[in-house]
Amino acid sequence: MRPADWAVLVATLAAIVIYGVWKGRRQKRLAQYLLADRQLQWYTVALSVMATQASAITFLSTPGQAYTDGMRFVQFYLGLPIAMVILAITAVPIYHRLKVFTAYEYLETRFGLPTRALLAGIFLLQRGLGTAMTLYAPALIVSLVLGWNIHITTLVIGVLVIIYTSSGGTKAVSWTQTHQLLIALGGMAVAMVVAVRSLPEGVGFTDAVRVAGHMNRMNVIDFKFDFSTPFNFWSGLFGGLFVALAYFGTDQSQVQRYLTGETVTQSRLGLLFNGLVKVPMQFFILFVGAMVFVFYQFVAPPLFFNPVQSKSVRAGALAGEYRQLETTHEATFAAKRAAASQLVAAMESGDGAAAAQKKRELQELQQRDAETRKAASALIRKNDPRADKTDTDYVFLTFIMQNLPTGLVGLLLAAIFCAAMSATASGLNALASTSVIDVWKRLIQRDLDDHTYVRISKGMTIFWGVFCIVFALFANRLGSLIVVVNQVGSLFYGTMLATFLIAFYFKHVGGKAMFTAALISQATVFVCAATLNVAWLWWNVIGCTVGVAAALLLQTFLPPARTPVHAE
Amino acid sequence: MIDPPPILKTWPRLYGAVLLALVVETVLFYLLTRSFH
Repeated sequence: MRPADWAVLVATLAAIVIYGVWKGRRQKRLAQYLLADRQLQWYTVALSVMATQASAITFLSTPGQAYTDGMRFVQFYLGLPIAMVILAITAVPIYHRLKVFTAYEYLETRFGLPTRALLAGIFLLQRGLGTAMTLYAPALIVSLVLGWNIHITTLVIGVLVIIYTSSGGTKAVSWTQTHQLLIALGGMAVAMVVAVRSLPEGVGFTDAVRVAGHMNRMNVIDFKFDFSTPFNFWSGLFGGLFVALAYFGTDQSQVQRYLTGETVTQSRLGLLFNGLVKVPMQFFILFVGAMVFVFYQFVAPPLFFNPVQSKSVRAGALAGEYRQLETTHEATFAAKRAAASQLVAAMESGDGAAAAQKKRELQELQQRDAETRKAASALIRKNDPRADKTDTDYVFLTFIMQNLPTGLVGLLLAAIFCAAMSATASGLNALASTSVIDVWKRLIQRDLDDHTYVRISKGMTIFWGVFCIVFALFANRLGSLIVVVNQVGSLFYGTMLATFLIAFYFKHVGGKAMFTAALISQATVFVCAATLNVAWLWWNVIGCTVGVAAALLLQTFLPPARTPVHAE
Repeated sequence: MIDPPPILKTWPRLYGAVLLALVVETVLFYLLTRSFH
């Protein structure tokens, strides 16, 4: 990193923190601190909702996903617009009418305290771990590629977030998120322009798209139904719908974003804008990855993108074997570059037969290179059994560091840090809200004044920030547990969604039936996750279906629930 | 009483527009995928 990059990075991060602290000053009442006084307009709600979901991993890993696997990951988001419409119709008016601070507060009016406490507890567990991961994962990748100390990187991101989130509350979080998302998306656009402009002379944008397409990187939609593959149209539409319903409807980190809307209309518009823009946005991020893939058909990529693991295997007993693979990789790359240039020339001249032949040749070479990379990955695992066998997460950052001009490297790093900070901030904000509203104010001290609750909320934000930093600092000792933590949301979302669906639509079901059904549903998901070969997206569907069915069945043996005061 | 949306006059129309956009995107993605096979 050159001084200009440092200047851009430091100036951007400092500006965000100062802006957040300034924007969130003078927060005296709990509704001000936790819900920005319910005064935000739809565009702030929308960008805040989008920034909460788009963590640094979205901007680091998604382009790498397109590099290694093409663009089919976009299908994961196909259920999201449907979920936004459903939530705009159902959840938003109910939450607004009851003027709740958290989603779980509503559950007490329907099912009583035990169900509220159970769901709030599940949320604190899974969001606490999830937020720690949103802090840890980008810190790990940035540290490995740049050679920075991971502890310092984690501490810097974590402390900066704690400063403005604890001082300014939800208002600071929502307003900084709008700027952070725009910086992150701007950074992606810059990276795409650089990738396309760095292609050899005579290879334009259209050629790049065609080369990506001929090398299976434009495989966006796959209608083949398969339970074991995570990304096809059906798993995206149905599994993705359940994930989005659960995430946006029951996860306080999202619910809190649209509870800040001034009216039902503002909150609804915020969600619907997300439904309209999210799929194209993910397509764009994947498309950047596809362009980086094309770039690396003309500029030699490393055999394995994780620099620490490559260095380790080169210094170890397997160095000779690894060097042989590197030689094969270099020879394959030279042949690929020639074939790609010839393919572009054949397409330009309209020679269909030559283009078809070069396309086949390129695909064969790509297959050969994939096998070499697989062998390299196996060597890396043999050298270090704890090593991550994939290098997807490192592709985009390596591209940035090696190919962007001075100043833009700093901008892209600032974009990644902004994304990490925005997702972490809403996580901390929601954890503090649930801790205060559903635990402290409900179970510990019910009658304190507003000012004291604001101070407790600030303390809780700092507590959860420290928890996430400490967990992130020790996360690298957890090995494969990291994978489990990444999927932890899908373990719990089915049960959470079932509880809210019953609350919204089945008014005759009471607290006893729902509480028992939630436990049954959760146990079923744990058993399925441990024993069945079912892609994790389907855990949400299983949990929700079992939860709803069990609640309805159990209720037939119990007296009907009293209609709650606030429910329709 | 919930206000009508600022565009398309009614909420069902706005919901329909969001879902229609999803259908159009899916069709475009499918055409893009097919054009290279």
